[in-house]
Amino acid sequence: MELKIENLNKTYSNGVQALKDVSLTIPNGMFGLLGPNGAGKSSLMRTIATLQQADSGSITLGDIDVLKDKSRVREILGYLPQEFGVYPKVSSYNMLDHIASLKGISNKGERKDLVESLLTKTNLWHVKNKSLGTYSGGMKQRFGIAQALIGDPQLIIVDEPTAGLDPAERVRFHNLLSEIGENTIVILSTHIVEDVSNLCHNMAIICLGEVVAKGNPADLTNQVAGKIWKKAIDRHQLEDYKNEMQVISTHLKAGQTIIHVISDDKPDASFETSSANLEDVYFAEITSRMESALV
Amino acid sequence: MFKEIFKFEIKYRLKRPATWAYFGILFLFGIIVGISGDTPASEKVFVNSPTAIANMLSIISIFGIMLSSAIMGVPVYRDIEHKTENYYFSYPITEKGYLMGRFFGSMAVLFFVSLGFQIALIIGFSLGPIFEFEPADRFAPLNLWHYIQPTLVLYWTNFFFAGCIFFAIVSLTKKVMLAYAGGALLFIAYLVTLTLAQDIENKNLVSLLDPFALGTYGNIIEYWTPEEQNTRMVPLAGILVWNRVIWLGLGLLLFFITLFRFDFQRFLNKNYSSKKKKKTESEEDVDPASIAIPKVQKVFSGALNFKLLWNLALLEVKNITRDNFFRAIFLAAVAFLFFDAWFGFPVYGTPSLPMTYYMLEVKDFTYVILIFILIVFMTGEVLHRERGVRYDQIFGSLPIPNGIIYGSKFLALVIVSFFLVNMVLISGVLNQVMKGYFNFEFGMYFTDLYLIEFPRYIIFIMLAFFVHSIVTKKFPGHVLAIAIWVFLFGLNSLADVNNNLYLYGYSPGYTISDMNGFGHFGESLFWFRTYWLACGAFLTFIGFLFWKRGTDSGRKSRFQIARGRLVTSTVLLLVICIAVFVGSGFYINYNTKTLNKYATVDQGTAGQAEYEKTLGQYDRIAQPKVVDVYVKADLMPEERSTTVTTKMQLVNKSNEVIDSLHLNWGAPNSFHKELKSLTVDGQELELGKRHDKFGYEIYAFNEALQPQDTVMLEMTVWGGFKGFPNEGSGSSIVYNGTFFNDGFFPSFGYSAQGELSSDQDRREYELPVKDYQLPDQQDEWGLSNLLFNDDADYITFEGVVSTAPDQLAIMPGYLQKEWEENGRKYYHYKMEGELDFFYNVSSARYDVHRELWTGKDGEQVNIEIFHHPSHKYNIDRLVNGVQKSLDYFTEYYGPYQYRQMRIIEFPRYSTFAQSFPNTVPFAESFGWVGDFSDPNDLDYIFMVTSHEVAHQWWGHQITPSATRGSNQISESMAEYSSLMVMKKEYGIDAMQDFLKRELDRYLTGRAGESKFEKTLLDNDTQSYVWYRKGGLIMYGLQDLIGEENLNTAFKRYIDSAAFRPKPPFTTTTEWYRHINEVTPDSLRYYLEDSFENITLYSNKVENATYKELDDGTYEVSLEVESIKRYFDGNGKLLEEPTNANYLDIAIFGEDGQNDLGMTTKTPILIEKQWVKPGKSKFTYVVNDKPLKAGIDPYNKMIDRIPDDNLVNLEEAED
Repeated sequence: MELKIENLNKTYSNGVQALKDVSLTIPNGMFGLLGPNGAGKSSLMRTIATLQQADSGSITLGDIDVLKDKSRVREILGYLPQEFGVYPKVSSYNMLDHIASLKGISNKGERKDLVESLLTKTNLWHVKNKSLGTYSGGMKQRFGIAQALIGDPQLIIVDEPTAGLDPAERVRFHNLLSEIGENTIVILSTHIVEDVSNLCHNMAIICLGEVVAKGNPADLTNQVAGKIWKKAIDRHQLEDYKNEMQVISTHLKAGQTIIHVISDDKPDASFETSSANLEDVYFAEITSRMESALV
Repeated sequence: MFKEIFKFEIKYRLKRPATWAYFGILFLFGIIVGISGDTPASEKVFVNSPTAIANMLSIISIFGIMLSSAIMGVPVYRDIEHKTENYYFSYPITEKGYLMGRFFGSMAVLFFVSLGFQIALIIGFSLGPIFEFEPADRFAPLNLWHYIQPTLVLYWTNFFFAGCIFFAIVSLTKKVMLAYAGGALLFIAYLVTLTLAQDIENKNLVSLLDPFALGTYGNIIEYWTPEEQNTRMVPLAGILVWNRVIWLGLGLLLFFITLFRFDFQRFLNKNYSSKKKKKTESEEDVDPASIAIPKVQKVFSGALNFKLLWNLALLEVKNITRDNFFRAIFLAAVAFLFFDAWFGFPVYGTPSLPMTYYMLEVKDFTYVILIFILIVFMTGEVLHRERGVRYDQIFGSLPIPNGIIYGSKFLALVIVSFFLVNMVLISGVLNQVMKGYFNFEFGMYFTDLYLIEFPRYIIFIMLAFFVHSIVTKKFPGHVLAIAIWVFLFGLNSLADVNNNLYLYGYSPGYTISDMNGFGHFGESLFWFRTYWLACGAFLTFIGFLFWKRGTDSGRKSRFQIARGRLVTSTVLLLVICIAVFVGSGFYINYNTKTLNKYATVDQGTAGQAEYEKTLGQYDRIAQPKVVDVYVKADLMPEERSTTVTTKMQLVNKSNEVIDSLHLNWGAPNSFHKELKSLTVDGQELELGKRHDKFGYEIYAFNEALQPQDTVMLEMTVWGGFKGFPNEGSGSSIVYNGTFFNDGFFPSFGYSAQGELSSDQDRREYELPVKDYQLPDQQDEWGLSNLLFNDDADYITFEGVVSTAPDQLAIMPGYLQKEWEENGRKYYHYKMEGELDFFYNVSSARYDVHRELWTGKDGEQVNIEIFHHPSHKYNIDRLVNGVQKSLDYFTEYYGPYQYRQMRIIEFPRYSTFAQSFPNTVPFAESFGWVGDFSDPNDLDYIFMVTSHEVAHQWWGHQITPSATRGSNQISESMAEYSSLMVMKKEYGIDAMQDFLKRELDRYLTGRAGESKFEKTLLDNDTQSYVWYRKGGLIMYGLQDLIGEENLNTAFKRYIDSAAFRPKPPFTTTTEWYRHINEVTPDSLRYYLEDSFENITLYSNKVENATYKELDDGTYEVSLEVESIKRYFDGNGKLLEEPTNANYLDIAIFGEDGQNDLGMTTKTPILIEKQWVKPGKSKFTYVVNDKPLKAGIDPYNKMIDRIPDDNLVNLEEAED
């Protein structure tokens, strides 16, 4: 199955254009969606998850017209929104069981097995009878993951799923996703570039509502390989460098400011080559756009 | 620090739109009230009189509870809500500075917001005279003190007190919901005090405890006349001070508690449930990775959807019923339901048996208001539930069809409504069981609750559902939903829009009766329910189209979604709804407007004015008078119709030639009449002119009637009901319990009774103000006509009535024959001797109870009680009432003119008893089901029976002339007579309770007078004067000059005026002359005060002590104050005369009990004294230990504060 998004546009009633002519083709497997805050990731995901209308364009999932035939999409969808709440007075077991029945799993025994396995998978087994209101942020997030996986979904959309998880849980979740992602479409949005490079076969970078890059993370990295240069500079000089060359990122290392610059040639002798990674791709696409948007 | 926080609070609040929205609402309301002049002021009171302003301010302050909770509940909660508490409290501020800053800042804002109303009122009242919704002369010039004083004493004090409560609750519990629920609870607690206040025994307690002092205020001004309401203000004195001290003190106390208890650390601690932490459940370490997620079967089918619908609905029901707000209101609602039923339906303070219809009717008292609030709020909660906990995105992406989610929410509310409806049943049955009443009429319960009430709740839900589907935010949704209802209520009660067709959810009122069940109301209720259900369903489906699933609330996309949902089946449903709505609407309109001539209030008033302008020329024209009547009435109760033929012998008793007959049918109403034939001396009459609008016809006599000419008029009229009206019981002919009178036929000539009487209305339609309806006592026309009917003097009567085979029909007269013919029952009645022209026709499935009364001279009277078979409860009291009355009246007034006395029950569509010659129809709800088990309760059924029997003398023997004051001759005399019979039966102590009620009703009546109060000798329209004042004055008179003595005057009067065959008929002049004859000169002052003037006493005990003397006797010292005041009809003080009055001074021992089990006073000494106005002292020595003493202790005089006449004695200190 394949999810095809073509020329999708959406403008909110306050005038913000959230999606500009977005076209993507998403095959089975994990698909990473990268982008800064407010880039339109969530808008795109909500539109795919049938929660939002599009102004124009189309989305098809196999033979399903996602924008029209919402109910068929929902039957095979697993969705974890970026922000969500729970009924505070219901236990996670009961809630998952309830959602399972809403997802069409009418056999009680099956439902029980499923819910129990998901609770174990998400490491919530020992708190399964506690009401959701008492859950910590990480537990709540794991509950969110569990509910998205109910009912053998063919399309899983997870919006920043690892926010609030500790490193161990994050690893566990990634394993889980990639296990599932073998024969389903999993769309994962995040700002953590590393997650995408570790997990995804395909990805897209969205900025200001537009798809600015798409493809295989390795291919994308290759495109900038050899063009990334780095240098440790004095903090006060940053502005000067920014004016002179395309500084794509700065970060601190041992108290020093390190800048990454993209350039076909070595900017000057004081720079040294840096092995390109996905983060460089990301910043290369994002930085200039964001800055020009701010002006 | 305090200053900074205080200033920040005010600045913050002034920038919030909510602050201005609250201000705006109050302002808007004030402007509307001010300009329209629609204030709690009767016609003779300025719309902006000091009392009206104060009254409105205290009422607004009660609704201001909500405002207080909204403004004072949030200042501390804000830091929790916005999660700022974590750092805000880390700033260098103290708890007290923080709290006081927030408190006083918010309180200042609350006070400021609350002023919106006064400002608007002042502006509104200044514009009022320009707009002239009320005449300009009803607006008094601005007096700022009239606003400031009640604002300080009532308005702000209430806001402060309520504000303190909410501030304390939220600061100490952190739960803002408690503030809202607290607001509701306070409001409810308030309604309870209002319920209690209905009993006059509790007045002082209510005055003290009413948190908003509305009752206190009301009790102070309740007897103020229009003049006093216009000029006086309630001073901050007496009980009002104590009331204010209590509640202001409570508010301050709460504030101080908060101030000392509040603690940042405690406030920050999260409220984890205090359950002990269980040891973490056995942690079998299963490696999550090793577990596989099992494959599952997914089914999406119609059957599953149906199951889901049901499951989701049940889940939602659970959510609703777990809500604390729901529980609080629900419990309060059920408590009201129960207590309303428990205490409800007293008549003269005497409870009624817990009849099923009473148990059902309480649902419309307070319960429905609370349920209504619940429904409106719960609908909002349900529709915004997922969004509220931000579960909407997950939920929205689940594979559940839209219709199932939407439908399940609707179903949940329907289930909850059904549950709420059943509470009425449970409370009702519980009440009945606890009162030992086991006649459970479940059929009546089910019909009313499931078929009538339940759909009504659903109609409420539908509108709220629609609003909350369209409006995607909860709070604005609530505001809009409530605004719609407020608008509807406003249209109905303020703008006089009363067509049920235009007011969402409205339907005609209905009454359940034991005799007639649901009667004929079912049909109209069915159509109105259908009509509004269709409308509601239409709205619900529209709501469905726009209902928001997901995150998109842009208008464009919602229309896009709506178009997507508008599939064939939805369109079909919408079309069906519209078709049913429009179809039933047309049918209803046909019934109410075409068949039953619905008219708006304004049209009605305009019609009355036009009637007078068009037909007033015929007022008092000469018409022939009836001297003999024969009636043949064929009742068809099954069809609610009848055909009646009357043959009347007419005589021209005037000195003029009469050439035409004027038939006045009255303006068309739901009781339709069709004239089938009209002949005079066998020849048909020709119609000269007809005024359709007023039901007025003029026929030419074929041969003009010369003075003393006699003709025979024969007329056949069909009368009955067609379809159903917009409102009204149409109770004249019903399936079981028909009762109508001679008014079935048209009267002759113009009747002034159809005219407008209000001065204001008359001015508006340019008619001269009419002070009196009737002419004065010397007027020739007045003297030559009788009060109740100017179409006849005395007549003779005979009639035949037929009815349904299972019913029994009654007319005045002695039963000559009864038989069956053509499957109908026939009864032939004939009167002996003469009677005034006043007869009734009654028919129902009656049981008859028969008794005999034998007089001193061996004369016998058959007593017959026609009653509904199950209403046997109080027959003995009715019989006793008739017997004791006949005993007394035959002894003192003269013989009874008939050989029978019949009491006939009729359905409870109205509550009265009426005296026809030897026949008294008595309403179902007026004693038949009274609960007289407590001997201290007034035996009103005995009392009313006696009153009606007395009318056989006062009304039927002496039928007064159509002149001013004449009503006193029938009503005040009947009232006096029944008081005497009652005094004889129950003793003097039973009288006081009753007289106090009479006093209350008289004083309340005159306080609400819209013209001017008339004297006993001249009063022609004011029932509070002829019943209440009349009874009190006559009782006081017999006490003063002696009962026997007074009765000799009445006997003389009867002897000279009974059945007077010819004018001049009797007037109050004659009545008063007889009274005067037996009154000693020294006591004449009482007659002048009472009959010719309006006189009020203010008697009270200033000081009363006793001390035991050496010989074992007691010396009692009594200081009293007595003031007598004369007032004019508007209540303006005229004079305080200084002559001494003859008043009771009495000393009492401990209360005793009489043979009937009633509590009685034990007088140790009682004597009449000439008491000079001002202060007086009395000293007595008595043998028994005295407990109480007082002046006029039995409240025989009219006194606005009757309770301070008798006080407990204190032991004197030496």
